[in-house]
Amino acid sequence: MNKEFRVLSRPYMVWLSVLVFFPILAMIFIGFSNLDSSVSIGEISLSFSHLNILTQSSTIIAFRNSLIFALATTFICFIFGYFIAYEIKLSKFKNKFVLLTLVILPMWSNLILRTESLANIMSENNILKSLLGFNIFGNIAGTWMAVLFGLVFTYMPFMILSVYTALEKIDFALEEAALDLGLTPLKKFWKVVFPLSLKGVVTGSIMVFLPTLAGFAIPKILSRGQIVFIGNIIDNKFIYTNYNHGALLAVVILIFILGSILLITKFDKEGETLL
Amino acid sequence: MEKQYASIKDYGYRDFTKLNKIYSIIKKLLVILIVLGLYLSIIVIAIQSLNESRNLSSFTRLSFQWYLNIVREQELMNAIKNTFLVSSIATVLATFLGTFFAIGLYALSKKSRVLWMLLNNVPILNADIVTGFSLMLMFRLLMVVFPNIFGLFTLVMAHLFFTMPFVILSVMPKLKETDPNLMDAALDLGIKPYKALIKVVIPAIKAGIFSGMLLALTMSIDDFVISYFNTGSGFDNLSIWIYAVIGRRNLTPSVYAFSTLLTLFTMIGLLTYQFLQRQKKGKNNEKNSTSSVSSQS
Repeated sequence: MNKEFRVLSRPYMVWLSVLVFFPILAMIFIGFSNLDSSVSIGEISLSFSHLNILTQSSTIIAFRNSLIFALATTFICFIFGYFIAYEIKLSKFKNKFVLLTLVILPMWSNLILRTESLANIMSENNILKSLLGFNIFGNIAGTWMAVLFGLVFTYMPFMILSVYTALEKIDFALEEAALDLGLTPLKKFWKVVFPLSLKGVVTGSIMVFLPTLAGFAIPKILSRGQIVFIGNIIDNKFIYTNYNHGALLAVVILIFILGSILLITKFDKEGETLL
Repeated sequence: MEKQYASIKDYGYRDFTKLNKIYSIIKKLLVILIVLGLYLSIIVIAIQSLNESRNLSSFTRLSFQWYLNIVREQELMNAIKNTFLVSSIATVLATFLGTFFAIGLYALSKKSRVLWMLLNNVPILNADIVTGFSLMLMFRLLMVVFPNIFGLFTLVMAHLFFTMPFVILSVMPKLKETDPNLMDAALDLGIKPYKALIKVVIPAIKAGIFSGMLLALTMSIDDFVISYFNTGSGFDNLSIWIYAVIGRRNLTPSVYAFSTLLTLFTMIGLLTYQFLQRQKKGKNNEKNSTSSVSSQS
């Protein structure tokens, strides 16, 4: 491409640098200073007094909840999502794009509304029970199962998409060669297809893990406030305008994200499987 | 009697046909269950929208009244209007600017391109809560200068921030696919570079721009977390409004009706798009075959 067009990227460089770094720096600064609405500019100073929020037992429990649920959701999404992506790849249906569209179609309706309707049918008397005559979930409203179910089926499309993108790029000649050289279909999958799709698995796992770890609406609605994630604590700090604590907790989440970005760049340099 | 010929089993062949049959049944069952799981919430929303009673615990009678009621729900209409206002502004700007930014980034040397693409991934990978919270803090600091900043402006800025990377990410591979000679040919034929850009490069990457736009729109319309932190002075989009109303436990079933309509429209839209695409392809194939026949004769 013409070098003349380099100019076109300049505004975006400024935009990205400002909006990526400035808010994060502001967040770190607010987390580690005494800045709040009552402090005048002259009195701003560094302060570590807010760090106590990190050692409170409620915070630690919330972190534990977030981590356990995020790991479990990622693992389940990986198993089922990989399976669906592989089935789409294998299917004899000509137009794969239609199948993919059908998988992601639920993502087009409002997340909060979907979660709320799931919460409705997980309670004892619900609309599906009055139609079908039995309860498909039993009465799991407010339990960890409800939250896990909601998280898995909300974020699975991300995993399916990423894995499918990676699977689609695998040269069929490689698979044929593996079979010609005497591998059984199962071995072919394990030794050839799976390693080549790992890029998609890593991206997909991160696309599931991060929103689960940092989310707050789904656990709040599905557990009826029983199970507290770290996002819920940040949400509370936001509501009560305790920005210093909120900022500190968000910084901790940020550390997880930086780790994930490093992991992704190791597997996928220009983010090709991100879409 | 001695065995004279080795059977295929001696070569390590094992008969899996029986296992395969069981496996394929399990497979089908699993596919159906997972797809059902993915669609469960949408189905429930549709059922709730057709229920005559406001009560969500039992289905009384089939009724379309909530569909007719959508326009009469002031708050709902307001939230819908806000959502579309923010999303359309953000999507149009993100698509337009993102396309040109992508071209600019593509023109960079490979090393700096990789670096900027890495930075471009940050808004995509960053958790919504961190993006939302940190942008909110930045806007709050700006409040010293602009006191009434929260509202439409902050929402559009925040949406632009996280949708533009998607446009760039979907335009970039198309740019890589285009023939570099295309641009040179246009320049040789005497067009100015920027005119060539619009007449030659943009048409070549049209598909990427379109999918980028769709992605941006999807992300923007469905966004909850980032909007939740960055809205102000009662400027609620649909997600924020629903989240607030759920807390009060009196959500009008018209919301379900609206959501069902939206799902149906997207489904019909996508399927027609597919159908048209296929027809176009079919026609092209026909044209090619007839032209090849005529050239042979």
